[in-house]
Amino acid sequence: MDYILSGLIQAFELLFQGNPETYSAVKTTVFASSLSVGASMLIGAPLGFCLGYARFPGARPIRVVVDTMLSLPTVVIGLLCYAFMSHRGPLGDLGLLFTIPGMAIGQTILGLPIVVALTASAVENLDHRLKQTLLTLGAEPHQLLLTSLWEARFALALAGAAAYGRIVSEVGISMMIGGNIKWHTRTITTAIAMETGKGQFAVGIALGLILITLALLVNLAMSGLKRLSGQ
Amino acid sequence: MAKKFLILWMAALLLLTTGLMSAWAADSVMLATTTSTDNTGLMDILAPRFEKDTGIELKWTAIGTGKALEMGKNCDVDVLLVHAPAAEKKYVADGFGRDRTQVMYNDFVIIGPKNDPVALRGASVVEAIKKLATGKAAFVSRGDNSGTHKKEISLWKKAGMAVPDQQKWYIQTGQGMIATLNVATEKGAYSMTDRGTFIKYSENHGVNPPLVALVEGDPGLFNQYSLIAVDPANCSNTKYGLAKRLAEWMTSDDIQKLIGNFKLMNKRLFIPNAR
Amino acid sequence: MKERLYHLKNLTQVYGDRTVLDVDRLDIQIGTITGLIGPNGSGKSTLMRILALLEKPAAGQITFQGQPLTKVPLDLRRQVTMLSQEPYLLKRSVQANVSYGLKLRGISDTRQQVSRALEKVGLDPKRFAQRSWRELSGGEAQRVALAARLVLKPQVLLLDEPTASVDRETSGLIRHAALDARNRWGTTLIIISHQLTWLRQIADRILSMDYGRLTPVH
Repeated sequence: MDYILSGLIQAFELLFQGNPETYSAVKTTVFASSLSVGASMLIGAPLGFCLGYARFPGARPIRVVVDTMLSLPTVVIGLLCYAFMSHRGPLGDLGLLFTIPGMAIGQTILGLPIVVALTASAVENLDHRLKQTLLTLGAEPHQLLLTSLWEARFALALAGAAAYGRIVSEVGISMMIGGNIKWHTRTITTAIAMETGKGQFAVGIALGLILITLALLVNLAMSGLKRLSGQ
Repeated sequence: MAKKFLILWMAALLLLTTGLMSAWAADSVMLATTTSTDNTGLMDILAPRFEKDTGIELKWTAIGTGKALEMGKNCDVDVLLVHAPAAEKKYVADGFGRDRTQVMYNDFVIIGPKNDPVALRGASVVEAIKKLATGKAAFVSRGDNSGTHKKEISLWKKAGMAVPDQQKWYIQTGQGMIATLNVATEKGAYSMTDRGTFIKYSENHGVNPPLVALVEGDPGLFNQYSLIAVDPANCSNTKYGLAKRLAEWMTSDDIQKLIGNFKLMNKRLFIPNAR
Repeated sequence: MKERLYHLKNLTQVYGDRTVLDVDRLDIQIGTITGLIGPNGSGKSTLMRILALLEKPAAGQITFQGQPLTKVPLDLRRQVTMLSQEPYLLKRSVQANVSYGLKLRGISDTRQQVSRALEKVGLDPKRFAQRSWRELSGGEAQRVALAARLVLKPQVLLLDEPTASVDRETSGLIRHAALDARNRWGTTLIIISHQLTWLRQIADRILSMDYGRLTPVH
């Protein structure tokens, strides 16, 4: 029990004394997760839109596949990516292993099904009058897509938050692809795994609290954006 | 609109990270080592010193021995620092590694509850193994193909016995050393650990640690660390030259002294033995 | 004789196994105001959607401005706009809602036009332009939706119960706006309303629809 309290105190110390390892881990986490959440949203939102909007043969089985991919363990994703990114693998020459962009790619695979599934639901739940309204006002297909996505923006924000939560808290992918390299690819979560493995439970708790603080700041910012855009 | 801002942010990030990546491309060597080695904190002392002495950045990833060897085969790293001599020799013979260089050693310890139900205290390592099997005493193993695990397996072999894989009293955690020791502590069982982790375990448990060292000093518990360069014949992209420089540096007198003086919780941990 | 804007022949629409529209012939001249009345479920809104180029009929011929329906290009399609019975407003300000159609067409400087459109439907731009979609009553929302269509100066304006939720004074304003559109821009209007007296003040002719079939009203 005492490591929880000790962890709380250490969290403050690490943050306010400007501990360089901690700040490096925070920076790596922010970079990697921003890339992957951004990519998940940019690729996943239009895909989810198509899935939820049009009624085409094969939509239902695709939806089942997407929902199933929500259960992919991060270690498995990490292993699959490693197979591709290793120097022995097809993408070996790109030098993605042990890099932040490499981790981001793996994390995007994690976040995509979340964004696609939630966007498809959001679009299905759009008011059925929206499409006719947009068409009668003269929207072309790409304008229809963009305006519909903006109308569903609050549900999309939830998709983004869910993807962010899953991505920022994962260890398996960061560890396998990033390698937990000090100063370069050590994220908050791989650092927690490492410290816990060393028996340093208090440091683990401290880093966990720092991660939660980061998530809190992100969600506060999102809440502010929601206010600005009308909710 | 918010969307434009997001796209700009993404583009900026991508540029920044790729920019940083190319900056890192300035001379660096990639090492794979084991978690127990990394957990001693030795790498945190050696890496900055290496960069200061040679200008080359030492980047390392700490994983299991099995995985380190695998990564060397896959040409994902340039050099290995592991402690599994039999596997290492085979590795070099198979053409995956070169220039196996002994660097330092420490030892393993067989630990167990203070009351020592099957009387291991002071026995030789072979006798101790036999007593564990006959007494069917609870024993917790790493079970994860790590250097420590391989060492343990070799001891069963040395005592002329099969690894008690299916036995109820033989518990395989498949996890790291600390996790394994925690299980042993919970169950009041025996286990085998490296000296470094044992030092930390004892410190953490203060005055009265639940598990104590029972068998130590036997030459069979010797734990040799070696550097192996990834063979450039197998991997055209590997930085063989830099790997050699690391080996030369680590076996130099000054650094060997540094390793010998390295203390973990005020106790010396490694004995340098480069030839 | 005025040009034929719409020509419908043997038009039918079917939902499931129900025939909801059965029109032998319908011609609508440019610049006319046609009224449409009839009981609920008689097919009026369906006919409107087909005329708005939003729905394809099950069978029959339609030509719009002399061209058959299947080949209507984007710029022609953009000249027809419909206001449905319970209009949907986008989740943004009144200003943004009214200027949306203009923005789609690449027009960026919309403030003046939006203000004029709002005034036409009896909403003071100073009070309403910055209001959010949430802060409007049913009648105000309907008027904003009408303004969003008026601002486009459409060639064809289809109105489905435009005065359903508004008071008498606004009812008069909307009548005025409709006539103004026809007189100033030559807009052709087709208006569904259950208020026959209101329709008589504005329509050139009135048609009655029952069970999908049209008959003229005198």
